[in-house]
Amino acid sequence: MNRLRLSTGGLIDRSRPLSFTFDGRKMQGFAGDTLASALLANGQRLVGRSFKYHRPRGILTAGAAEPNALVTIGRDGRTEPNTRATVQELYDGLVARSQNRWPSLDFDIGAVNGMLSPFLGAGFYYKTFMWPADFWEKVYEPVIRKAAGLGRATREADPDGYEKCWAHCDLLIIGAGPAGLAAALTAGRAGLRVILADEGALPGGSLLSETATIGDRPAPQLAADIAAELHSLPNVRVLVRTTVFGWYDGNVFGAVERVQKHVAELRAGAPVERLWRIAATQAILATGSEERPIVFGGNDIPGVMTAGAMRTYLNRHAVAPGKSVAVFTTNDSGYRLAADLEAAGVGVAAIIDSRREGSPVGGGSARVIKGGLVRDAKGGKALAGVTIAVDGSNETLDVDALAMSGGFSPVIHLACHRGGRPIWSDAHGAFLAPQDTEGLTLAGSAAGVGSLSACLADGAGHAARLAGLLGRAAQPAVFGPVAGEGTGDAGKPLWSVPGIRGKAFVDFQNDVGLKDLKLAVREGYGHVELAKRYTTNGMATDQGKLSNINAIGLLAEARGVSPAEVGTTTFRPFYTPVSFGALTGASHGKHFQPVRKSPLHDWAAKHGATFVETGLWYRSAWFPRAGEKTWRESVDREVRNVRLNAGLCDVSMLGKIEIHGRDAAEFLNRVYANAFLKLPLGRARYGLMLREDGMIYDDGTTSRLGEGHFFMTTTTAYAAGVMNHLEFCAQALWPDLDVRLASVTDQWAQMAIAGPKARTILQAIVDEDISGEAFPFLAAREVSLFGGALRGRLFRISFSGELAYEIAVPAGFGESVADALMEAGEAHGICAYGIEALGVLRIEKGHVTHNEINGTVVPADLGFGKMVSPTKADFIGKAMVHREGLTAPDRLRLVGVKPLDPAATFRTGAHILAKGTEATLENDQGYVSSSAFSPHVGSTIGLALVRNGPERHGEEIVVWNGLMGETTPAVLCDPVFVDPANEKLHA
Amino acid sequence: MPEIQIPAFRVASRAALGSKTALRSAGISIAALPEGHVIHVLGEAGGPDLAPLLREVTGGRPHAVRTAGPAQWFLVGDEALSAAGVAAILAALPPGAAGVDQSHGRVRIRIEGPMVERVLAKGTAADLAPAAFPVGHSTTTLTGHIAAHLTRVAEDAFELMVLRTFAESLWDDLATMSGEYVLQAADRA
Repeated sequence: MNRLRLSTGGLIDRSRPLSFTFDGRKMQGFAGDTLASALLANGQRLVGRSFKYHRPRGILTAGAAEPNALVTIGRDGRTEPNTRATVQELYDGLVARSQNRWPSLDFDIGAVNGMLSPFLGAGFYYKTFMWPADFWEKVYEPVIRKAAGLGRATREADPDGYEKCWAHCDLLIIGAGPAGLAAALTAGRAGLRVILADEGALPGGSLLSETATIGDRPAPQLAADIAAELHSLPNVRVLVRTTVFGWYDGNVFGAVERVQKHVAELRAGAPVERLWRIAATQAILATGSEERPIVFGGNDIPGVMTAGAMRTYLNRHAVAPGKSVAVFTTNDSGYRLAADLEAAGVGVAAIIDSRREGSPVGGGSARVIKGGLVRDAKGGKALAGVTIAVDGSNETLDVDALAMSGGFSPVIHLACHRGGRPIWSDAHGAFLAPQDTEGLTLAGSAAGVGSLSACLADGAGHAARLAGLLGRAAQPAVFGPVAGEGTGDAGKPLWSVPGIRGKAFVDFQNDVGLKDLKLAVREGYGHVELAKRYTTNGMATDQGKLSNINAIGLLAEARGVSPAEVGTTTFRPFYTPVSFGALTGASHGKHFQPVRKSPLHDWAAKHGATFVETGLWYRSAWFPRAGEKTWRESVDREVRNVRLNAGLCDVSMLGKIEIHGRDAAEFLNRVYANAFLKLPLGRARYGLMLREDGMIYDDGTTSRLGEGHFFMTTTTAYAAGVMNHLEFCAQALWPDLDVRLASVTDQWAQMAIAGPKARTILQAIVDEDISGEAFPFLAAREVSLFGGALRGRLFRISFSGELAYEIAVPAGFGESVADALMEAGEAHGICAYGIEALGVLRIEKGHVTHNEINGTVVPADLGFGKMVSPTKADFIGKAMVHREGLTAPDRLRLVGVKPLDPAATFRTGAHILAKGTEATLENDQGYVSSSAFSPHVGSTIGLALVRNGPERHGEEIVVWNGLMGETTPAVLCDPVFVDPANEKLHA
Repeated sequence: MPEIQIPAFRVASRAALGSKTALRSAGISIAALPEGHVIHVLGEAGGPDLAPLLREVTGGRPHAVRTAGPAQWFLVGDEALSAAGVAAILAALPPGAAGVDQSHGRVRIRIEGPMVERVLAKGTAADLAPAAFPVGHSTTTLTGHIAAHLTRVAEDAFELMVLRTFAESLWDDLATMSGEYVLQAADRA
């Protein structure tokens, strides 16, 4: 293997080599590697091109904040662009490709942008491509977007599964570093239900990169020991590879678990990612801190990385950063790195310490340049050297790797997700979490705590305190003395270095440099929110994890104020990007939404029904027969047959509500606009339910089956809404009434049997006499069927205008009863009919549905004015329905419409114009609310809501469809096209 | 009276989940329960707890009386009842309680096994830990997109009672939710 891989040490398994490719080149790593560590071990420093200038970029960090090392992994539908190589675990056969380069990573034409960079500063595009105006959207923006960019998403479907999941706990601990592990152990031992979540593959956080010992145990060993004890506790759940991305109301946290993003072979049936919603009584945020880069010239050249990252690659992954390393630091942490490098046999050219005072120990034998500043780094695709400014003179060091540490920013994102603002602390040189995070406690370096021992104690202490709050006695876990740890001294922030020559980047991912921020201040965009948008600093997929604090510091410097005065932009979920797959969960394909199947679904299917989705229901739309070439032929036949013989239609999906109680009649009397108090036993009545504003809400029939027992039907669409409405009325408006409600939509299979032969056919299965005298129009009773084998409910109601009944039987028996009726009706020419025919039949009779009851109509608009009770003391809608505007004569009211030429047609939604007027919206007289071809009229017919409609029967008008460019001369007419005297209904 | 006679027409009930085969594995098992009876009892709002009286109606069978919200209960059993059988239960209800036959409106699914909490947590926001959801406890909760009435009938067994027209969809969702345990077992076999 490559000389950069150390022969010993680290948490990699040298017995398990893994093969992978990068841009087609075969490489090898080991189990325990990330893609980034494996690339570095293979000497691959150049891993990507920057967003705007296409500059060569390497690996800057060893974690989730990585702005540079974004690659595309996977193939076909599993292609995943913008994967952070620093987070992606290596697996055998992994395929990775670099992004935003053409024709290749080594030779990228787009790098010419770098030479044009003097012109490409912040705001350049907006200032330059202003004219002509519509060129921005059509020409400039697409071209600019094509040149700048990230990886490309695949257009193929993702073959993998995702899911969502809930979890509940007493204590959620976010981050399994020193503080998080100590907290989890303390709380777990005390018996709390604990969830410990960490984005890494192993619990341990910084312990895994640490060379200190705790109670004589190496730090990674301590992490493994604590993890083992946690696994043995049944009350503790450890979620690794799980990023908690948001803090929400009710102390619910969102998290995404990468279940199978690190394996070569997927486990069948298991998701690749799982979205968790974790409801926690208390939570500890132990997310550690982020090391800040330093803004100097060429700080983005491959070979420059944060000191902590270099320490991780060295100690955890056993990868040497180079042959000769310089460390540029503002604090003590750089010294620990230098010592570790020296111990690993890597040459340390110098520690460049921006501080003049103090004498940190533990840096090993390396030369220390006090008060030194790295002014510029040199190199193209790899670092070649650095220029150091010290005491007014410059010195050049030939190094191939540079570590930088500009101090530490606590990772407080989640603590700010519910609106709290971070608070600047001069002592910490960092923003700390807001004070009022009830339910969320910060611990360890996320709380600004410095050293390893202090973090362990802090986590354990907070957990013990919270356990007490939750009623459990707990002893803070202790781990023995820590040897070889850093001081945890924060140092003083170093926002900028004087005399920079090269490009100094603040936001690496969006290519925002020092000059851009200075420009923003000069041009009046110095406010942090304006500067962000003007420069795009912090707006890339990394959301400014490394750049925001440096940008705030630089803005503060440029404006001559404290960072406290500049303030921060807003932290929002998600902490790191979450895939759409995880957010979608299992809700795709056939699981996108539930399917509601009528109890007569299979009956309809065996009669060849074509189904149509209406809401969640699959309704039988029509029943094609051999020889019928179009849906219209089937529907016309069904319509004719119902009026000639009989038809059977599934109406099971109508909402059905059982209403019981001493005050059920009074309740209905208040819910409906028409009278229900005196509805006789065994009778059904059509009811109009209004909203408070007087508009019709829903309609349907309600039958009285007992003194205090009613059965209401609603429209299919409003079944749930009416149930909620009734519950609200019963519980909130009139709690004094004794009313109990139960939805029984699913209990009954309900069939409409309509047509002149309906009674004859139905009588074959109903035991009681259903003659016109015994069972008149609007009769509603329980009946015996098949000689007492079954009981059902029979209603003589009609939507088609024919002699018609609806019969309800317990759902499981639906198919059997429908079969019996079809068999009984065969000799009488019965046919199955669907909702298309149902629609034609009701339009022919001028019956309304929610096409007409569309939220803008009052009863009088539909000719139901007389149904509204003038005598009832009160009902919902009474106060408003008589308002002036709702009784105005020129309101849009129901009328029929048919074309003058029977061969002509028009569509629902078309508008009505007075004859001879211009086709403008000013001349609009109303619109067609329903239309269909009527085989009985022999042309298209429609129902329309038209100004003064009922007074205009016989008037010629024009139906105008401005969208389709259609005009149809037509005539307004009575909306009842068939049997206006209702003779068939009462037959 | 009838002009048409249907000789010996057999009236039969078709089970909503008749086409589904039970899933069985070491981790999780799912099976449709017999379409027996479900009586929805509606007490008076704010009225007394009728559960003790209802247990007498059901003869003390375990989990036969299930809470279904304030002043509401389900009386549940595996035995399918005739119209007369339903009428007998309705007549035996405590005074002031109304009963609604939902035997065909609700379908019951039993889900059990060591992974049952893990599987159900993919659908419900209810805390399923035994301390929070002991045996005999019931609640109405969303399971994914579908509302269902959930009862713990044993340490590692639950019953889901769902609206009949949603039963197939819920079954399909449960099968997907169980996939990692069921398919895994099939792979090993």
